[in-house]
Amino acid sequence: METIKEYIESGILELYVLGDISPDERLQVEKMAAEHTAVKAEIEDIERSMELFAEEHAVEPSEGLRSRIMGSMVTNLGDDRVFTKAHTRTDEIFEDDERNADNVIAMPARQTTFFKYAFAACLTLLVISVYGLVTMYNKLQDTNTQLTAMQLDKQKIANEASFKDKELDIYRDTIYRVLRLKGTAKAPSAAVTLAWNTVNKKIIVDMKSMKLPDHDTQHQYQLWALVGGKPVDLGVFDTANSIDTSGMKEMKAIAAADAFAVTIEPMGGSVNPTITEMVASGASK
Amino acid sequence: MSRKRKISLSEEELVSALRNREKIAVEALYDMYSASLFGVISRIITDIPVAEDVLQETFVKIWNSFSGYSAEKGRLFTWMVNVARNLAIDKIRSKDFKNQAKNHELENNVTFIDEQRNTVYKPELLGIRELVSTLKPEQKSILDLVYFKGYTHVEAAEELGVPLGTIKTRLRMAILQLRKHFN
Repeated sequence: METIKEYIESGILELYVLGDISPDERLQVEKMAAEHTAVKAEIEDIERSMELFAEEHAVEPSEGLRSRIMGSMVTNLGDDRVFTKAHTRTDEIFEDDERNADNVIAMPARQTTFFKYAFAACLTLLVISVYGLVTMYNKLQDTNTQLTAMQLDKQKIANEASFKDKELDIYRDTIYRVLRLKGTAKAPSAAVTLAWNTVNKKIIVDMKSMKLPDHDTQHQYQLWALVGGKPVDLGVFDTANSIDTSGMKEMKAIAAADAFAVTIEPMGGSVNPTITEMVASGASK
Repeated sequence: MSRKRKISLSEEELVSALRNREKIAVEALYDMYSASLFGVISRIITDIPVAEDVLQETFVKIWNSFSGYSAEKGRLFTWMVNVARNLAIDKIRSKDFKNQAKNHELENNVTFIDEQRNTVYKPELLGIRELVSTLKPEQKSILDLVYFKGYTHVEAAEELGVPLGTIKTRLRMAILQLRKHFN
């Protein structure tokens, strides 16, 4: 009986009740309790006081928790009705059941992974959007550049068109008289078309349709009018005059003329025409 | 706090109802023991929502592992409080919980600290003052560590810097004091 008292006083029963004991020791305590009523009574007493101690420290959980826990238990209840009746459980299942319990606990963890995935998805979307935006911006820039180029082109074409119109008008307009000079013996194939404005008396040379023999860089063409048998200078012109883009070159004005002629003269023109160098001529009527 | 009518059964009735897996047993179990179990859990885990999760886990585990309990080996509450304490300790030692603690936002920490340093008057703590005054300081600290902080007596010995034998004796003395107090 002395050993029992010592056993009780060793403090192992308190540790047993607190669950702070190895499995071997637990078996030993349970064996002792089964054999000795004093041990069993002592354990009961410790348990009771610890239970009261816990009651003293009780903390009421929040109101909503009861229904939440009932909810989770009722779903468990359904599950258990199906399974537990079928196979009987033995006492050592404690660890085994940890898995079952874990099935139910997973909720908060699932929620955090949900947010993790949601965050990842948001990030992916953001990256895609940024990429999309950059691409769209580049395309927009390209389009703008093209649009500017097109507008310039359009402007140019419009200018050209209006210019062509003006050119055509020369032939359409009745105030112009169109004269065709023919090649002389020196240049039989030569041909020059003149338009004579009957209002302001200006002569216009159609550079495009002009066919004249070539001259070197020291020379130019010069247009003459014959008025009462005397030659009058009407100005000089070139075939390949790059500055004169018009295709129509305005010469000096002349009120009246009997005939027109083109000669090849030294650069800048001459005071009197070099008759030997006459390449085209034609009457004014 | 409005208290609804609570179900209360004797321990034998409750055990047999749990064994027969009756729904009323679950309700009775909750009404009779949730506050006591929550008292233990919420002292180990100060974060209230987490503590409530653990209380839920505790009830689920009690329900699922009920065949692991046998009345000959001890009182129902002893078994349940050990389930609760083990789950609570597992929780605070889990990676998840530690990470969560690291990620605590500042605002949350304010209420967290408020909860820890609670100065609000709690009528349910009235009895404890009286109880604590019956315990010697070293008895109180050993009970705190082992019962409410989840220390094993070995860890408690290290923490308090006293030999294992002393720890066991102190624990026994503390519980004897409690027994005297409750009788």
